[in-house]
Amino acid sequence: MFFLIITFGFLLAMRGARPAPLQRPVEGFKRVWREAIDFFLTTSLILVFWTLITTVKEIQPFVREYTILSFGIAAYLLSRYQKKTDVFFLSVIASVFMIASEQYALLQEILLAGTVSAGIALFQTCFLGLRYKLLFSPVPVPVKGWPILCLLAGFISAVLWSLKSLVL
Amino acid sequence: MLLAYLPFMIYPYGFFKTSIAALWIVVFLWFTVAFFWFVRSFFPDRSLKPAFFLWLVVWAQAVWTLTKLPPYWIVSAFFLAPVSFLDDAVNPNHVRVFSKEVPRSQYLSISAKRKLGPSKPPFWKRRKKFGWYFFERMLTGIGFAGFVMMLALVREIAEKHLGIQAFKEPAGMMLVVAAVAFLWKNQPYRKRG
Repeated sequence: MFFLIITFGFLLAMRGARPAPLQRPVEGFKRVWREAIDFFLTTSLILVFWTLITTVKEIQPFVREYTILSFGIAAYLLSRYQKKTDVFFLSVIASVFMIASEQYALLQEILLAGTVSAGIALFQTCFLGLRYKLLFSPVPVPVKGWPILCLLAGFISAVLWSLKSLVL
Repeated sequence: MLLAYLPFMIYPYGFFKTSIAALWIVVFLWFTVAFFWFVRSFFPDRSLKPAFFLWLVVWAQAVWTLTKLPPYWIVSAFFLAPVSFLDDAVNPNHVRVFSKEVPRSQYLSISAKRKLGPSKPPFWKRRKKFGWYFFERMLTGIGFAGFVMMLALVREIAEKHLGIQAFKEPAGMMLVVAAVAFLWKNQPYRKRG
C-alpha cells in the first residue's frame, strides 16, 4: 500500500489537478486536501457500491467476473461528473482495485481508503512545501527540473517510510 | 517515460516478470496506436477520450482474467500514449537527445488535426504518414522497455543481492530515477562530423 501512496502521490502532484502557483503555498495546500477528500469520497463510494451490488445474487457472478471493468466504468463516470483529471481517474481505479483485493470488511476497506487518501495528501503537502522552499534556494542548473523533483520524492518517501516504521 | 515507469514500482515482481510486463505494455501501445489511427474517423471529437479509456479498462480486465496481472500497467500505457494523443495541443514539443533538438512528435495529435480542418489525403499518402507516426511510437516503446528492464535489474541487484534496505521501499528507486533524469538532462555534447 505504501508503494501505491508514493507512486500516485507523485503522479497526482505532477499531473493531477491544476496546481495553485508555487508562490501561494496556502492555496496549494487547501487544494491538495480538497482533492484528497474527493479522492476518499470517490473511492469509498465505489467500494460501497461494489459491496451493495455483490449482495444481489442475480448479478453477483457477472460483477465478480468483471471486477476491473466495473471499477473502471464507475471510476470514469464519477471522475467525469466531478470534472477531475485523467490521472485522478487512473489513481482511483488502482486504489480501489488494491483495496478490494485485500478482501476486508466494508468498514475496514473504507478505513484503508481513508489511509491511502491521507497518505497521498501528506506526500503532496510535503512535496509542495519543499518545492516552495526550493524557490528561495540556489538550485544548480543541472539538477533543476525532473532530477530535483525525483530526488525530493525519494527523500519524502524515505521519511514517510521511517514514520510508518515507528508507528506500526 | 519517468512517469510511465512509476506504476512498475507497485508490482512486487522480479526482473523476468517485470520485463514481460514491460514488453506487454509496448506491444499494447503499438496495437493501440495502430488501432486508433485507423478507426479515429468513426469517433466524434467528444467520444474519442471515453473510447480510449474504455479501451484501456477492457484490456485491463482481459489481461487480469488471463494472466492475473494487476491493472496498474494501464497508467504506463496512458503516459506512453502519443504526445497530445487526446489533447488539442497543435504544436509538438521538442526533446533533447544527445544535445540535439528533436521534435517529440512530428505528426499532430488526432484532435489537433481535426482542429486544423478536414483534410483527406489519398490512401497511399496516409499509409506513408502512418509509417512515420508508427516509427516514432516504435522507438518510444523500445526505449521504455529498455528503461524498465534496466531499472528492474538495478532493483533486483540492489535489493536481493546487495541487500540495500532503501530498495525495499520506493525511496531507492526514486533516487535511481533521479540519477537517470540527471544524466539524461546533462547529456554530453556531441560534436558534429
